Amino acid sequence: MTSPSDPVDGLNGDGLAGRYYGRSIPYLPIQDYPGKLIAIEGTDGVGRTIQIQLLREWLEVKGYGVVETGWTRSPLMQPTIEIAKSSNTLNKLTFVLLYATDFADRLEKEIIPALKAGFVVLSDRYIFTALARAGVRGVDRQWLRNVYGFAIAPHLVFYLNIDVKTLIGRVLESRGMDFWESGMDLKHGDDIYDSFRAYQLKLLREYQSMADEFHFRVVDARRSIDRIQDELRRQVASFLEPAEKPAETALTR
Amino acid sequence: MTFSLLHATDFADRLLYKIVPPLKAGMIVLADRYAYTAFARDATRGVDRQWVRELYSFAVRPDLALYFRVPIDVSVDRLMARRVKLKFYEAGMDLGWSTNPLESFRMFQGKVLDEYDQLVQEFGLEVVDAKGSITEQQRYVRTLVAQHVKTSQLEMIDDEPV
Repeated sequence: MTSPSDPVDGLNGDGLAGRYYGRSIPYLPIQDYPGKLIAIEGTDGVGRTIQIQLLREWLEVKGYGVVETGWTRSPLMQPTIEIAKSSNTLNKLTFVLLYATDFADRLEKEIIPALKAGFVVLSDRYIFTALARAGVRGVDRQWLRNVYGFAIAPHLVFYLNIDVKTLIGRVLESRGMDFWESGMDLKHGDDIYDSFRAYQLKLLREYQSMADEFHFRVVDARRSIDRIQDELRRQVASFLEPAEKPAETALTR
Repeated sequence: MTFSLLHATDFADRLLYKIVPPLKAGMIVLADRYAYTAFARDATRGVDRQWVRELYSFAVRPDLALYFRVPIDVSVDRLMARRVKLKFYEAGMDLGWSTNPLESFRMFQGKVLDEYDQLVQEFGLEVVDAKGSITEQQRYVRTLVAQHVKTSQLEMIDDEPV
């Protein structure tokens, strides 16, 4: 909970790890929970999910209890969000609020209980994705930060940083460009390639602008999966076990 | 929180499709409940008061907001006269204060009414005494609306020659 001496209205991310960014959820005090919250952020197709899988295996081998959570995965909201996306009635405000509802559900039902029980929570995307997407769509940034004030500041935020050229190659090699990830709702034009490029450029800039505000640990995601994983493990190890020398961080797979 | 955010989503949808367009066209929009319902209900459910106000800061501030005030006993009597079963959320059963729907309703709605009383001051709601008959209430509402429609600057739309 925000202490009375800390008149923060929105998010500011400074020294808040494990606490609410802004206005708390009064009925859910969370001080001194033993679990750790680690967020992996980055744009669509940058390779977050594989990194989380690998991190999870490694942490579990080391004896940590791990819980994963990911954007729009709440049982309450996932069907609703899918329906809303497939109709054409969503606007930027309802989009933001549906995402926020999904996040609130996962926060209350998954993240907070797991932190209370001492798990390491790996979050595939966090509120920064919502802030970036809505920011690009012209939603008031201060309002967004107020709305997400009930989010818990992660202990670590890794931002997988990539340039748009490398990203395009990666996305085309894997699953191709999709309507929303190309920002086609912004009506930059009918060409999905041009739209993807323009939209992702804006999105990357938006993420970039949050790096300092929310203490992102920026990870160069242009490298191979193994190299990225090595770096993540090194940083996670030195955070979870500061006394130990991070000796066994080499890939074991 | 999810209860609060889902209602805000619904509200945003109605605001943008049902409220803003007629306002732009110079029409009068009558809203049965508004953001104040959320302020009262969500606060009673333990959500941060200031957070809910910030959440709804995208709402259009009404030109006139009427609050129909009744004591909890009158409210309960009216509901009981019409139907037997109280709705789960309306009775605040989700809060687990009582397993008896009627008792839960009394406790929950009693607190909601306390919240409304604070909102009257904060947002300048016009209070209508809803204990009286429908005719009495309607006459009072008409005088309030009439004053307001007269004093506010309604744009007269000239009929364009077809």
